[in-house]
Amino acid sequence: MPPASQAQQAQAQSSAAAPQYETQPGMRDELRDANGWVRPAWRKFVDHWGRLGPTELASRWETAQQLLHDNGVSYNVYGDPRGMERPWSLSLPPVVIGQEEWQKVAEGLSQRARLLAALLQDLYGQQRSLLEGTLPPAVLYLHPSFLRPLHGAKPPRGLWLPIYGADFVRGQDGMLRVTDDLTQAPSGAGYALENRIAVSKALPELFRECNVQRLALFFRGFRDMLGSLAPHNRDNPRIVLLTAGPYNATYFEQAYLAQYLGITLVAGGDLTVREDRVFLKTLAGLLPVDVILRRVNDDYCDPLELRPDSILGVPGLVQAVRAGNVAIASPLGAGVAQAPALLPYLPRLCRLLLDEELLMPSVETRWCGDPSALRDIESHFDDLLIRPAFPEGRVVSTATALLSSQEKADLLARIRHTPERFVAQERVQATTTPVLINGKLTPRAVMWRAYAIAGQDGEPNVMPGGLARVAGDEAGMQMSMQTGAGSLDVWVLSDEPVTAFSLLPPQHSPVAISRGGADLPSRAADNLYWLGRYAERAEVIARLSRVVSARLAELGSDADVLKSTEIGPLISALNAQTNFLYAADIPRADVRSLAASELALTASVFDANAAGSLASVVRATLRSGRVVRDRISMDTWRVIASLDEELSDLSVSTGSDRLASVHDLLSRVVITLAAFSGLVMESMTRGQAWLFLDIGRRIERAIGLVTLLRSTITLPCDRESALLEAVLEIADSVMTYRRRYLATLQVAPVVDLLLTDETNPRSVVYQLIGLTEHVRRLPMLDGMPVRSAEHRIALGARSELELCEIERICVPDTMGRRPSLETLLRRLGTQLPKLSDSLSESYLAHARLSRHLSMSSPFDSEAPPSSDGEDP
Amino acid sequence: MRLRVRHRTHYSYTDPVTTSHHEARLSPRESEHQRTVSQDIQINPAPATRKRRFDYFGNRTVHFSLSAPHRELEVIATSVVDTVAPPLPPLDATPPWEQIRERLRTDHRRDVLDAFAMTLESPSIPLIEGLREYGQPSFKPELPVLAAVRDLIGRIHEDFVYDPTSTDLLTPLEKVLEQRRGVCQDFAHLAIGCIRSHGLAARYVSGYLLTRPPPGKPRLIGADASHAWVSVWIAEQGWVDFDPTNDIIPADEHLTTAFGRDFSDVTPLRGVLMGSGNHTMTVQVDVSPTT
Repeated sequence: MPPASQAQQAQAQSSAAAPQYETQPGMRDELRDANGWVRPAWRKFVDHWGRLGPTELASRWETAQQLLHDNGVSYNVYGDPRGMERPWSLSLPPVVIGQEEWQKVAEGLSQRARLLAALLQDLYGQQRSLLEGTLPPAVLYLHPSFLRPLHGAKPPRGLWLPIYGADFVRGQDGMLRVTDDLTQAPSGAGYALENRIAVSKALPELFRECNVQRLALFFRGFRDMLGSLAPHNRDNPRIVLLTAGPYNATYFEQAYLAQYLGITLVAGGDLTVREDRVFLKTLAGLLPVDVILRRVNDDYCDPLELRPDSILGVPGLVQAVRAGNVAIASPLGAGVAQAPALLPYLPRLCRLLLDEELLMPSVETRWCGDPSALRDIESHFDDLLIRPAFPEGRVVSTATALLSSQEKADLLARIRHTPERFVAQERVQATTTPVLINGKLTPRAVMWRAYAIAGQDGEPNVMPGGLARVAGDEAGMQMSMQTGAGSLDVWVLSDEPVTAFSLLPPQHSPVAISRGGADLPSRAADNLYWLGRYAERAEVIARLSRVVSARLAELGSDADVLKSTEIGPLISALNAQTNFLYAADIPRADVRSLAASELALTASVFDANAAGSLASVVRATLRSGRVVRDRISMDTWRVIASLDEELSDLSVSTGSDRLASVHDLLSRVVITLAAFSGLVMESMTRGQAWLFLDIGRRIERAIGLVTLLRSTITLPCDRESALLEAVLEIADSVMTYRRRYLATLQVAPVVDLLLTDETNPRSVVYQLIGLTEHVRRLPMLDGMPVRSAEHRIALGARSELELCEIERICVPDTMGRRPSLETLLRRLGTQLPKLSDSLSESYLAHARLSRHLSMSSPFDSEAPPSSDGEDP
Repeated sequence: MRLRVRHRTHYSYTDPVTTSHHEARLSPRESEHQRTVSQDIQINPAPATRKRRFDYFGNRTVHFSLSAPHRELEVIATSVVDTVAPPLPPLDATPPWEQIRERLRTDHRRDVLDAFAMTLESPSIPLIEGLREYGQPSFKPELPVLAAVRDLIGRIHEDFVYDPTSTDLLTPLEKVLEQRRGVCQDFAHLAIGCIRSHGLAARYVSGYLLTRPPPGKPRLIGADASHAWVSVWIAEQGWVDFDPTNDIIPADEHLTTAFGRDFSDVTPLRGVLMGSGNHTMTVQVDVSPTT
């Protein structure tokens, strides 16, 4: 048989194997060519794919989704009021690219990485590119990441661009063109890895048969490269990943990458510079840091010498870099090579700096700051993509084709006003690739992101694969994850079998047993402590409010409110709790109507403007929880996250059954919080992280009880039994009391149960016993006395309770008050916050924010002294 | 003239500060018109680290950090400097301003590139429309560049009131323009913004003024603290200074410590510290003739 017909037959078979995929008419597709034949690179894949039936495929897709869900892969969407976090969206099948073509892509990207590294060296050095007129100087001088304090810097190993990323698309002519070079801190490599793990598990036989090139070697190179930058301790360098924090769009990926590479995830506040060296602040003291993989934009990295308004950076970092004591990847200043405004000049820069022709072109781009470019743009304004010339905040690009004539005129006027701030790009009609949507392969526009890491010889190594993103809509306009597009794995097929290699420890190999935990960063400890406190505070308020709502529901009229003996004290307790009156005088609430009582209740629960309301406390719980997400289990995090949803569900409800629905809501909150406590008790190892969380919970529970007792039992009350019943209910001790004392409700036994009974996990003394134990287990710091201040406070309070005579202090005076009990409780209300302060002072002081001195004017000595203190 | 400068900055903190990092630009620059006889910066308590370098603009910069708890910080910069008045070109004989603007756009030699960088907006001087409008009457077509700048400086001095209570370091230029009040820093930023809006190069100069004026001369504003003025590029003849606060062309009684794009590049003393509480700052500057 002649070879041509053989090929045709193969094509026919392949296309028959994937008959369900119809491309968009007139649009170039990755899988099918213009005649509908399956492209050679895809044939093997299509053969195997076709053997999986629709049902099988659907279940495979489920598998991939489940894997991502179980790993909690997520993406933060800016401006999303509902908790921001979205599950990462992965689709099948992967997009396939043949080895031969990929080889060209890798060469092209590798050259671009070398070019941009050379450009960085030039811009921070002698600036030939400006002196020779190759690059318009404004492109450098206006760039927000041209960091003048770094001019003349020499990065470790001379690597100006150890990490490079590029976004590219294939146009209708089949050419791949770069839309963006990423030199600042390219994101997404971790997602690429997650995608790969999920897809290779969902399609194991395809993955094997197609000889997909593996990613693990690339990541090993990544880890080795980071280590090789270390100026000190080359043998065992401490490497950290500097994150902008949990609100950053790709925080999940950063946490994942840190874990995969085996490096510590830190925020700016975890690091400090002493004597021009960088240290990690841990509970055990300061540990030197050698290499920082940064995911914070370079201009935010040091509030002293770079952006003064940054709260993400480390003061003194630039000086530590200058002193050669720390390596940062990518080096501070590398962000300047990332700008659409550079794209038009790359071919000439490539000739000047590398003496080579640029292999992989950029999408046709004009910088509007060039007067001749501006004239061209004005005359072809109908089908361009207008983008900011420099990366500033969230990148917004505008397709002029979608604008009305008025909008076009306005945009053009803005461009004419500051032309150097804009570029105009040709709008590329990207190719489509098949995506499984509702069980059907559907064509979607696709865009690639690839990565390169400097190898041992300094030459860039390109990751064989990467992240493909597909448009969220048919028109192909929504390509950003921020606007709901999805992702695909990228399979670079090899002609030969590939060797498997993984950075993840093999499942059956023995792992060295370790207990770890000594290097808990102080900031993490601080947030765990407050997570414990806020979660417990939420429970205290929820329990209290629930009892109030139940009692109010039983009352029919304002007269009932006046007759009730417990509503007043309970609302006082609620006020005391939400206004932090732990040791201050507690005013007796004067409620005379149902409406006023309900108002007090709903404010304590829903008023987001009051710092002590349930709504605010839940939000604070979430905030602390988000910061330490990498230290609590996925389930624990889900429980915390569901709290906020519960609360916002009801904040708008009104009507006659409002009290009942508030009561139900509070019951749900109490149960959710119980789930949280259960998980903390049962699924956290008893390391320092747990210790700080539990210390927080115990301090808060003790404070809550003390405040409850002070606002109820120490003051005169006509019919005490109703109030005592409510107090027991709030303190979750009704059953215990009943079992011991049957129905007789008296003050002394109640106080004993809630204050001094060391067997009741809801009593104050039980918390203090736990606290003395916990505090003893905290690390000893230099210069600490044998018994630390916090240990002495806890021990003092505990002994006082253990020694007190309950019967005696519960005897009322002639006015019906209990002054001895009040004195004891008030002292506890003072000592417990002191214990908290003392702990912060000893262990968490590292976690404090920094402040600026430069905001004081040096121009006028008579100006009033400035004060810019901050809240803890 | 030989001038002696003593600049003392004192911070006191309500709570102990555990670590702090500082950057100081308090030493005089060297130039043809200014030669340093001696200079010294004393820091109390003694810093844990102290490094000297020249910054991007060639200003003498000292970095220091403290890592022992302290409640106050004192920085005393002392220098003795010989100054001569720069030769002043006849203002009306300078080239038309449009010619300078063209030169800045087309020439790529080092000194012109450095000047070109001073035509662009900078962190504290956004080129808002109001600046171009305010400057426009001074930049009449074909006017010699220094005549135009001289006119602008005179108008600023005429139209704006010196008022230390009206602004602070964070007051945006827009507000200064609107309320027509400010201090030397605001007037310098304003003048620079107007000049840059016309495509010319202007830089921010930080330094001192003679505190005690020679007999018979009035005491100038800004003499008891750091002072700020502007410098304009006029091609071959380099940079020429103007002091909008006093409406004068600086001669040998102005002493330059640093220049940059705006105040944010040349802050005399800045710091970031760890610790809670508030701070109070006092500044004393004394500049006197000496022998």
